[in-house]
Amino acid sequence: MRSNILENCMLNIGYWILAAVAMAAPLTLTAASRFPQPEFDSGYVAHKMPHPAPDFAVTPMMDILILVVALCIAVVLVRKVRSRNWILFFGLICLGWFGFIRNGCFCPIGTIQNVALSLFTGVRLPLVMGLFFAVPLIFSLLSGRVFCSVICPLGALQELFIVKPLRMPKSLDATLRIIPLIVLSVGIVCAVNGAGFIICRTDPFVGIFRQSAALPMLLTGMGVLLVGTVVARPYCRYFCPYGVLLEICSLISWKQVELTSNECINCRLCVGMCPVDAIEAPRPALSDKVRGRQFKQFLYLLVFLPIIILAGAGVGHLAGAGVAQLHPGVMLVEKWQSVEEHDEDLFPSIEAFKRSGGTIEQAKMQAAEIVGRFREGCMYSGVFIGLILGLRLLVLSKLQGRKVHQASRSRCVACGRCFSVCPNK
Amino acid sequence: MKNEDKDLTRRKTIGWILRAGIGAVIAAIVVKTSRRSSGGRLVWQIDPRKCIQCGKCETACVLQQSAVKCVHGIQMCGYCKLCFGYFKPDAPRLDEAAENQICPTGALIRKFIEPPYFEYTVDEDLCTGCGLCVKGCTNFGNGSLYLQVRHDICVNCNACRIAEVCPSDAFVQVPENDPYLLKELLPRET
Repeated sequence: MRSNILENCMLNIGYWILAAVAMAAPLTLTAASRFPQPEFDSGYVAHKMPHPAPDFAVTPMMDILILVVALCIAVVLVRKVRSRNWILFFGLICLGWFGFIRNGCFCPIGTIQNVALSLFTGVRLPLVMGLFFAVPLIFSLLSGRVFCSVICPLGALQELFIVKPLRMPKSLDATLRIIPLIVLSVGIVCAVNGAGFIICRTDPFVGIFRQSAALPMLLTGMGVLLVGTVVARPYCRYFCPYGVLLEICSLISWKQVELTSNECINCRLCVGMCPVDAIEAPRPALSDKVRGRQFKQFLYLLVFLPIIILAGAGVGHLAGAGVAQLHPGVMLVEKWQSVEEHDEDLFPSIEAFKRSGGTIEQAKMQAAEIVGRFREGCMYSGVFIGLILGLRLLVLSKLQGRKVHQASRSRCVACGRCFSVCPNK
Repeated sequence: MKNEDKDLTRRKTIGWILRAGIGAVIAAIVVKTSRRSSGGRLVWQIDPRKCIQCGKCETACVLQQSAVKCVHGIQMCGYCKLCFGYFKPDAPRLDEAAENQICPTGALIRKFIEPPYFEYTVDEDLCTGCGLCVKGCTNFGNGSLYLQVRHDICVNCNACRIAEVCPSDAFVQVPENDPYLLKELLPRET
């Protein structure tokens, strides 16, 4: 017992002496010199740890090739085969590959941030990442949003949970459709200014693909799927930032989804079937008088456009300080100001900042600079959002008449339900 | 009739000009952002020289079992009998009993070689990446224990959750064909 206590004492004393020596050693003294490497008499040979290499299943170029081939197949299915069942079946295959095998990362939605970061800071990306961002956009320039229905694992997953889609009221729909614009711009501002990848963090489904998620993410994902039973594809329509870009490309796309390969007989069956309200009904050609009035309204809106853009810039500038709270540098200062001095070392972020030789004044200066950059970034975002909203308003004044039903270029995600009900295939 | 034809051709031309314009912008973005040297992917890794062993690696990873684990650069090890990565500061005895160990899961294995030297190895199945041993070894020993992202576990998120909360910016992206930052092979200063 006594020897035990003695040993204990010696051990502790030894420990603290060594500790004191180690701590007192100037920082320039390299750690490896504290205890020399022994030479062994017993013929002991150290064997090094093995370090497993990352397992990607396919080479980067294969990755891109698979994406391109899948998109080509999707185009053929939507334009030539025109079968809802084949689209669904191929969607499931893609969900398996892009979702559960490749774990949903990285996906074109997330690469927006990498590309933005690279454009603004000059950090070069792997080519495969740039192509993952660009290829679906190019395809949507050529033949609409086929990426959404078939390839995108998030879309394909939500597609499976559509049970009884409700019509969204137009005003609610228009309001909610502002969210993706905000997500896109805030995501880019955060990524460029070093506040992390917000778009990735708010992806509700990636935990399902990894089959490992924190509880909040799992609950959000399940909640979105649950809402998706009545509001079809809620993530795609009212959150997805990549959808904004796809929408812009598909508005001017070469080909678009055609409801029927024959002549439309205006039976309206597809309108009831479409889960995302993407079918535009025919409207009579306007009389000259009404047309003139509409055109006047259009011109008024055109004059109004700069005002909307300016308002967007102002709101963005004001919101910038709030968005900046997402930046770790700003969070650090807030935390630092709220803790007592003797508690400072309890917080790793403060400890790390102090170890790098910084003081709270420096942290404050940095945070102020960050807030400034966020204000600027959010101001440009406001301009962008204002411009898109203004354009959406302008599109509301429809001057041309149309005789048949048509799939909306911007909203249609090519799920193929309309193909299956069309009586005049 | 002729007028309508003209209108259609004009619309088509405008459409192609717009498409070509946006296509060119997208192509320019790809050319501007991509590295010329290689098309390979990047993977996450910890720079052990920046790591302050805050313990967030253990809990922040999106996987239930963190992809970060302790590795042992055995070429740097001093084979100490009193290992600061192995024993608690208040360890009652200098033996392998659980109450003496820093490691909460017993993942660090101590094996006698010859007096007075002991070999330390990491049982990766048990290691949770908490970094307690790394803290002891770095602060008071040779620093041969350090944390690394293990690529057989890591799913390579585009935005690594641990990197986002790492207080010392120790997470970096490295090429997939050279995916480790082994402390024993790195130059000492960052």
